[in-house]
Amino acid sequence: MSKGLKLTDILVTIIIALIFGAIYKLWGPLYGIVSTFGLQLEQLLYGMWFIAATVAYLIIRKPGVALLAELAAAHGEFIFGGEWGITTLIYGLGQGFFAEFIFASFRYQKYNMVTVSLAGLASGIVSLLIDVYYGYIGDLAMWNLLMLIGFRLIGAVIIAGVFAHFIVQALEKTGVTSLVRPATSVDYDALDQ
Amino acid sequence: MPFELSYRQTWLHKINPSFKFLLVIALFIYLIFVDNPNLMVNYAIGSVGLYFFFTGHPWKRLLLIALPFLLVFVTSSTSMIFFGEGEETLFNWGLVHITKESLFRGLHLGIRGMVFAILGVVFSLTTRPVLLFYSLMQQLKLKPKYAYSFMAAIRLLPIMLEELQTLRHALKVRGAVGGKGIRGFYEKIKAFAIPMLSQSIRRAHRIAIAMEAKRFLNVNNRTNYYQIGFSKFDVLLLLYFIGVGVLAQFASVNFPYFGIEDVRVIG
Repeated sequence: MSKGLKLTDILVTIIIALIFGAIYKLWGPLYGIVSTFGLQLEQLLYGMWFIAATVAYLIIRKPGVALLAELAAAHGEFIFGGEWGITTLIYGLGQGFFAEFIFASFRYQKYNMVTVSLAGLASGIVSLLIDVYYGYIGDLAMWNLLMLIGFRLIGAVIIAGVFAHFIVQALEKTGVTSLVRPATSVDYDALDQ
Repeated sequence: MPFELSYRQTWLHKINPSFKFLLVIALFIYLIFVDNPNLMVNYAIGSVGLYFFFTGHPWKRLLLIALPFLLVFVTSSTSMIFFGEGEETLFNWGLVHITKESLFRGLHLGIRGMVFAILGVVFSLTTRPVLLFYSLMQQLKLKPKYAYSFMAAIRLLPIMLEELQTLRHALKVRGAVGGKGIRGFYEKIKAFAIPMLSQSIRRAHRIAIAMEAKRFLNVNNRTNYYQIGFSKFDVLLLLYFIGVGVLAQFASVNFPYFGIEDVRVIG
């Protein structure tokens, strides 16, 4: 296998990311409406912002894809005038990096629901770390802070982990994933028979 | 922007996109560490000035684009105002406990969220994506395969939007209504995501192969349709922000709006 990502991988990743970038843009107002109720319920929806990395990784299964996807999605939201502005880029970089770290720790060999859920969780944790500086969340009342952390991580696992897994599973039935995935040893064995 | 809007070219459009990008990122990192609300309000005034007077878009459009800023303000501030910790109680109703500290911290967060939003929109309103990627290639040595992938992907967006519209109509005409709760939510995502993703991946794959055949990967000896350099306007933007910074500092010391210098430590 040649070193690094091929143009095909990059373009497909970016396209996937931009689709999610558009969803992120639509997600913003929804998140805003829910958040006016207070009580941190909007945090359950936050996981959507982590999904580009996990879906792109599950589809293409190569190193670097998760980070690129999350960055591209954030960039897409940014250049189309997302209401969070540059904030998205910083969060995107952190979230993509941590998701990538989880996939790397499995040596890019695991593509199951648990792995992507862990990646979602890692993205959630890094977003919380950035929030300590950006959102002063350390200064919230304790019960409120615990609700924020709990809801965000639950949302991250459900949306970026479980949903991403099922979406890609459904996508596999359409046959497009075989276009972009690298050949595996199973494929080579099939040739020998 | 995906659709060309008519606007007047201003000096902000002529700034080197990479420079503008790095400057906005630098401001972001700086502002994260600003805890003085007086200073933050002054920066907000500086950014709003740039937004309304120098982006070259008509007033009506600028006001329309500014509407979501209010949402940003509300979402960034409410949790902190209602549930933040603090000593001096202003209002108490059930779980809601507004204190002087949490109120100021919340307002500070709201204003900061708006400053970031405004700077981001100023950037996107005054930068053409194509020029941004050419500039990233030329000034920051971004690899062409990434830059051209982004540009190709942006060109594909209108097709994707059209597809989305078709899909919505198709689902509507067939009376596809999702269930309720988390399952219905998942089914709704699936109904849109699967066709959109599969179509787009196929198209992206085809285009990428064509681009590879046309040597879009080539790094060396590349000629560029757009040559992007620096100009006096880059210096002007830098001076603008230095000016805003100095004035903001001066005004926050001599004409403070609130008697608070650090929203993290009040008392």
